[in-house]
Amino acid sequence: MDAALTVTLLNFAYQGLVLALVVLGLGIVFGMLGVMNMAHGEFLMIGAYCAVAAQNAGLSVLWGAALAVPVCGVLGCLTHYVLIRRLYNRPFDTLLATWGLSILLRKLVELVYGRGYQNVEPPVSGGISVFGVEYPGYRLFLIAAIVVLFAVLVLWYWRSSTGARLRAMIGNPTLAQAVGIDTNRLACAAFMCGVISAGVAGALLAPMVRVAPGMGLDYLLNSFFVLVVGGLGSLAGLAAGTGIVSGTQLLFATLFDQTSGYLAVLGVSIIFLWLKPDGLISRR
Amino acid sequence: MALFPVADARRGNAAVLASGLAPLAACLLAVPLLFGDFFAYELSLYLMYGIVAQGIALTWGRAGFLSLGQALFFGLGAYLAAFALKSQAGPAVQALLLLAAVLAPTALAYVIGVLVFMRRYESGPYFSLITLALVMFGYQLANQWSSVTGGFNGVGNIPVLFGLDRYTHHYYLVAAVCLASTALVAWLMRTPLGTLWAATAQNENRLQFFGFDTYRLKAVAWAVSAFLGALAGVLFASQQGLVTPQSSSVILSAELVIWTAVGGRAGPYGALLGAVAIGLLSTELREQFAYWEAIVAVVFIVVVLRFPEGVGGALMRLWRYSCKGFVRGAAKRAAYVPAVGGFGAAPQASFRRDGGGFALSISDVHVKQGPVRILNGLSLQAGRRGLHCLIGPNGAGKTSTFNMLTGRLPLARGSVRFNGRDVGGFGAPAMARLGVGRKFQIPSVFPELSVRDNLCIALWANRARGRALLGNSVRGWNTPTLEFMHRSFPFFAQTMDEPAGALSQGQRQMLEFAMTALAEPLLFLLDEPCAGLSVDETRHLGSVIAETVGRLDACALIVEHDMAAVEALADHVYVLHQGRLLAQGDYAQVRRNAEVQAVYAGGSK
Repeated sequence: MDAALTVTLLNFAYQGLVLALVVLGLGIVFGMLGVMNMAHGEFLMIGAYCAVAAQNAGLSVLWGAALAVPVCGVLGCLTHYVLIRRLYNRPFDTLLATWGLSILLRKLVELVYGRGYQNVEPPVSGGISVFGVEYPGYRLFLIAAIVVLFAVLVLWYWRSSTGARLRAMIGNPTLAQAVGIDTNRLACAAFMCGVISAGVAGALLAPMVRVAPGMGLDYLLNSFFVLVVGGLGSLAGLAAGTGIVSGTQLLFATLFDQTSGYLAVLGVSIIFLWLKPDGLISRR
Repeated sequence: MALFPVADARRGNAAVLASGLAPLAACLLAVPLLFGDFFAYELSLYLMYGIVAQGIALTWGRAGFLSLGQALFFGLGAYLAAFALKSQAGPAVQALLLLAAVLAPTALAYVIGVLVFMRRYESGPYFSLITLALVMFGYQLANQWSSVTGGFNGVGNIPVLFGLDRYTHHYYLVAAVCLASTALVAWLMRTPLGTLWAATAQNENRLQFFGFDTYRLKAVAWAVSAFLGALAGVLFASQQGLVTPQSSSVILSAELVIWTAVGGRAGPYGALLGAVAIGLLSTELREQFAYWEAIVAVVFIVVVLRFPEGVGGALMRLWRYSCKGFVRGAAKRAAYVPAVGGFGAAPQASFRRDGGGFALSISDVHVKQGPVRILNGLSLQAGRRGLHCLIGPNGAGKTSTFNMLTGRLPLARGSVRFNGRDVGGFGAPAMARLGVGRKFQIPSVFPELSVRDNLCIALWANRARGRALLGNSVRGWNTPTLEFMHRSFPFFAQTMDEPAGALSQGQRQMLEFAMTALAEPLLFLLDEPCAGLSVDETRHLGSVIAETVGRLDACALIVEHDMAAVEALADHVYVLHQGRLLAQGDYAQVRRNAEVQAVYAGGSK
């Protein structure tokens, strides 16, 4: 295979999968609970700072990912208890409250770590040869890890009893409550899942990006674009949305520059809202 | 008996506007005298932000959608004004360029608003995130397109507007614009257009069934707010002499929303107060006190959770409470007096019936939703006048027929003709404008608006357009139908100023029917109009429906389960079963029909 083509394809796979991982949490929370979590990017940022903390303690990034699970779990649980729980059926206020939370989290991290960029070293340095092309080893590791994660998640959602209860809650929350499912606890768990996935994504991505308090917004917007393009509530929609968004971004960024890549994605999203308001693959 | 004494409404509006503007003007004039020119110069920055915040209050507090990217228009206006002021063109050209600096962002907001709102009503989070993405883009563009915008350093050395002195006289220019924008927002909120914006926020769906293109209403609201943003941006460029990407940043957008929320988004004063008070406090405390911004974020969250009206709303409530006696007297004077004469007769509804034939002709219509076939080859014709009842077991497709007729369910196959015109695939507002009025199964009104405003909006349907919505004369409209509704539902007179959401279920049914009737449609679609009513009320509403439809010389399709009511009302009965017409005829014929008996007795499928 042509070397340039291989690299492009690997880049596409890497960017798409990373985006899918980031969208996952936002999609879980928006699709299942109808909550647009504006602090999603900030939870990711906190995960990245977990990696920074791990590095400062002399540990590898993977320990940062492990640290992100309890940190984001507690944060998610608290957020659900203080904000989300009180604001069901007020989607607009949820958006505002989580947005306020995002500002708060940003400021708090700023107070602890300052505004500057932090660098995190990847645990796997150097490249690995794929089809005769040298490709960064940590990226390959991420590609593999995300694929495995998604496979496990899909199996769990469709095979486990918790998955069944979740599906019952999404289908009809009142009825689910009536048959004895504690929807409040389940919603809390779902929200925590979304937050933890964001945190783990942040910790894993930390070596590849510049870690800063304001890094979350980009991820929130890109995830949102994926949800708009792909539609809510299905893995196929997630895949389609991720493919289109990261493909458009990669194409325009390669041809012109980052800003036009961003503009192209924004334009595509507005066109989708106009022509296909429920996204490519909608549940309805 | 019109809804509003027009002269009073005009006088009242002028009084209310003056009572707010006069103290504001006095305060603004007093600032440089009391605190000196330099403080006034500092304050004027926050007055500009206050103007932007007033735009946010208009869209968010009134029309019910929130832009998280309002700094985009502020920044755009500021950059365009900077180029205009720095251009070497003559004064006339420069004036035109400055005008463009305000109007271009306005037009941009309108176009984006139409694109985003058109296909997705109740857009909620989608709109907010799109605006956030837009302001992100604006910021990136301002930073990277440095050949034009000067990049990170921005555009500097901008001359002051009209050659004013930046540190003394410029304040008065800002104060004057601030007064004007306050007046504009306060006035707009009191116009019929403002009432329609509030209705959009509360029940956009219902408003569409009165023939209003709500996406256009929302786009106009957003355009006005963008206009205010750009106007403030022009002042900003002139006052600061420097425009950097910070003026179209996410951070500024966020602060603007927080100021509006905390100050109070219900009107122009709260938003202005929020921007000035918190803005000034922030400049003082941000540097000295590290936790300040975190505290502001917490205050914002608490306001969202507990005090949606903000500080301004709380102050207003306190003020009303403290001068309760005075207000009560005033309220008594302004109380609803059923006046006679002196009001404009409303114009005729804009649709005309043409030609003969059937009012409605549905042929071989199929509607599918996923794998489910909802309508399965439905064909029926309804004449130009008379009461037609639609019956059938649950799931027969009665409400779906209504949804299909009003564009809420897409047509998979078949055709629909109404009043001699092919209307397959028309949306709800378009059908309403052709003369189809719909009443919902669960009464759907504008819960926080008064009964009076609810009736007003219905009266404006298909009658008031464009500029008519900016004057209060449409509030004084009267029609024979309105008089008939007043006579038929005497409770209106007592509840005129109550919010419609406070009415009982039965009263809301009657209100919604009255609203449907006030639009004077050619075809009424009434979905279980008597659901939840007592036997007496059912009889009363039934007779009112029959008389209204007769007076308006219209046709009605009524979904009804109560066979006694069907027998009393119907000239003609259609029986639907599994998305198809099973039988039709008068009540007795249908009752004798063996197939109908089988369906209702649960015999065969």
